[in-house]
Amino acid sequence: MILQPRARSNQHSGKYALIAPATLLILFIALFPLLYSIIVSFQNIDARTPVGTFVGFKNYHDVLRDARFWNALGNTALIMVVCVLAELVLGFTLAQTLVGHLPGKRFIVPILILPVVIAPLIVGYTWRMLWDTQYGPINQVLGWIAGRPVEIVWLANPATVWPAIFITEIWQWTPFMFLVLLAGLSSINPEYREAAEMDGASGWQVLRFVTLPLVWPVMAVAILFRALDAFKVFDIVFALTNGGPGTMTETVSLYAYTLGFRNFRISYTAALTFVLLIIVSVAITVLWRRLSANEEKLA
Amino acid sequence: MNAKKRNSAIAMAGALALLLSACAAPPAQAPSAPAAPAAEATTSTDPVGQIEGQAKESAVEAIMTAMPATEGGSAARAIELAKKHAGTTLNVTYESGLQPQDPLLFSGPEFERLTGVKINIIETPFPDLYSKAVADHQAGGGAYDVISYSPAWIGDLADGGVLETLDAFIDANMDKADLDDLHPTYRKFQNWKGKTYGLFDDGDVFVMYFRRDMFEDATNKEEFKAKFNRDLAPPKTWAEWDEVCSFFSEKGKADGNYGCAIQRTAGNTYMWFYDQFRSNGGRFFDADMKAAINSDIGVKTLTDMTNANKNMPTGVEKWGFVEVLQAWMDGKLGMIITWPPIGRWSEGYGLDAKQLEWVPKTQITGKVGYSVSPGGHSELAGGFNLGVSADSKNKEAAYAFIQWMTSPEISGQRVKIPFALRDPYRMSHFNDPEYAKLWPNAAEYLKVLQEGAETGVADLGIPGAREYEEALDRAITAAYAGTDPKAALDAAAQEWNAITERIGVDAQKASYADWQNTFGVNAYP
Repeated sequence: MILQPRARSNQHSGKYALIAPATLLILFIALFPLLYSIIVSFQNIDARTPVGTFVGFKNYHDVLRDARFWNALGNTALIMVVCVLAELVLGFTLAQTLVGHLPGKRFIVPILILPVVIAPLIVGYTWRMLWDTQYGPINQVLGWIAGRPVEIVWLANPATVWPAIFITEIWQWTPFMFLVLLAGLSSINPEYREAAEMDGASGWQVLRFVTLPLVWPVMAVAILFRALDAFKVFDIVFALTNGGPGTMTETVSLYAYTLGFRNFRISYTAALTFVLLIIVSVAITVLWRRLSANEEKLA
Repeated sequence: MNAKKRNSAIAMAGALALLLSACAAPPAQAPSAPAAPAAEATTSTDPVGQIEGQAKESAVEAIMTAMPATEGGSAARAIELAKKHAGTTLNVTYESGLQPQDPLLFSGPEFERLTGVKINIIETPFPDLYSKAVADHQAGGGAYDVISYSPAWIGDLADGGVLETLDAFIDANMDKADLDDLHPTYRKFQNWKGKTYGLFDDGDVFVMYFRRDMFEDATNKEEFKAKFNRDLAPPKTWAEWDEVCSFFSEKGKADGNYGCAIQRTAGNTYMWFYDQFRSNGGRFFDADMKAAINSDIGVKTLTDMTNANKNMPTGVEKWGFVEVLQAWMDGKLGMIITWPPIGRWSEGYGLDAKQLEWVPKTQITGKVGYSVSPGGHSELAGGFNLGVSADSKNKEAAYAFIQWMTSPEISGQRVKIPFALRDPYRMSHFNDPEYAKLWPNAAEYLKVLQEGAETGVADLGIPGAREYEEALDRAITAAYAGTDPKAALDAAAQEWNAITERIGVDAQKASYADWQNTFGVNAYP
């Protein structure tokens, strides 16, 4: 049947009418908060000023000059770089070890991924008990090894607070990297490796020229996911140190939470999050391009 | 197994349990805390039963059942006022933990029994008492009827329109003699810019607890005299505190005993700075409303605090209320400075109550002496006001509830409930003969609490108080971790100035002047 233009137009209108409510709802849910927070970021709403007035770019200007913000951003970047790298190395090593047939694998893998399914806040509070100076098992075990009492103040000493955070974060998220990479490695046809080995390639050469290029797309996505997630780190730091001592371990999420939900500097926090959004978008774009370029190089 | 190994094993088991519980499937129904019948709250050996001339059960019942209100008194008038709103439910914010056990087990059910007004307690962590109240108000309000808050926040909450003024309610419903019954210092906490925004409900003041037996020990006295050329006595200055603390620590460190400990973890450590800083003569701001916490006095105070940590248990920088409590009750410390409940628990008062099962059993009954802080001016640290939300739909019923709660009769009972965490604040509390009999030296305890109220110094209570506190707290913990005290306080002072400028220098100047005028010697001695 050939529809006349008028009939076709009516049919299109009907389609649009049908999807319009859902589209409008989604737009409202997704766009309204975004637009509203943009408006709020140009106002001066806080605990004493529930109805704000327009202040232009003042909040943005102040954020860019806020030393605590840059300190928090630096701390976040540090966690992201150190932890994601360590998780990648550990996760890949574990995945390589467990990719073949291994007795007891069906029991080992679920145990290894256990930390990921625990809420990060619970992990933080659990490790806070483990790091405790007086009653923490970590000092106790170190004491057994050293043969004398060990009383390291893990979470209040600038020299030890970062390792404590890194280890906790890495403990929780290495299994994620492991799981994704294990899936990636498992999907590689073993014939590629076998062929390379038959051609006389060493173990390192197989890894460098066969395994890595083939697993790289999966690895790149895992790095990106973890980097994004690590950038938002809040729970573990909140539970372990709450950003302290002072602001030595404060992350941007923690800072934004303090400003927004404890000090009620609503407009300033909105501006801060938009500055953050821009920085993260640029960083992720650059990271993704580099990862993609690496993929081509490896291939 | 020694205590340390045991605690370590408990921590390991706790960590494992937490992990496993986090992995476990959630229960089909959230477990609800059964409201223990009042009589079950204590057992037959509870010191409440030591009230002279009363059998154990009747003493418990006397405390856990509201006394008949005096005719025409504030409690009776509050009951009559509330009866007009029978059937209403009031949403009341309360600090989570032990404190809500009072309105959940005693005051809430009793108020409902007497008036028909139901009390719904909403528990939140301490800092969230402020943020939730503000968030609710900004979102249109109405979620809470009664707001429990720290008096230091009164400026923010009043200026922000979160709290209702209570003067008209007080004029119409309260027996004015009950206002005079409030300790004069605590009465000041109810007001902001000449209006009443809350009824005071908790006489929080720092008390220096010391081990009388250690100070009376002949060997200790002799050795101390030989070392410092003066008699061993509870310290009257912070320099003396350091000397006594180092003396006992040197003697006992090898056995895990220390001369003193103060909670140093982030959150409330600024309160001890406020105390020591003002005893040293410090002032928060100069005449131009510039922060003065980084003055020479401020730097000396923070330097002394940081140095004092060296005489305290290792890791004290992460010690909070519970860690200090644990070590003190175990008899491992010579002196502590903290809130009033520890004094009651040290004597075992109420420790058999189900709600206090978590409190370590005391090893120091009959060995504890009391004093105000070494500088002579204890911090009036925290405290609580009960206010009515400006957005409440049940303001009259809410006011009736807080008038009843804080009335001499009911508050007099509440400060004696072992787990209520409400400390004496009325003259009638300080002079209560029944309270004075609760343990052998309870009268001395009450005397020190009263002295603390008279000579104590109030938390800085101007708009932005919470932000000022947090900025200072961060500086102090940074100094504990090795940052130069001057640099740490300079950074905090910068933050303070930024807060002042944001709120408005002139407005803050006026608020600060008002705060100083209101509190007088309780602002700066």
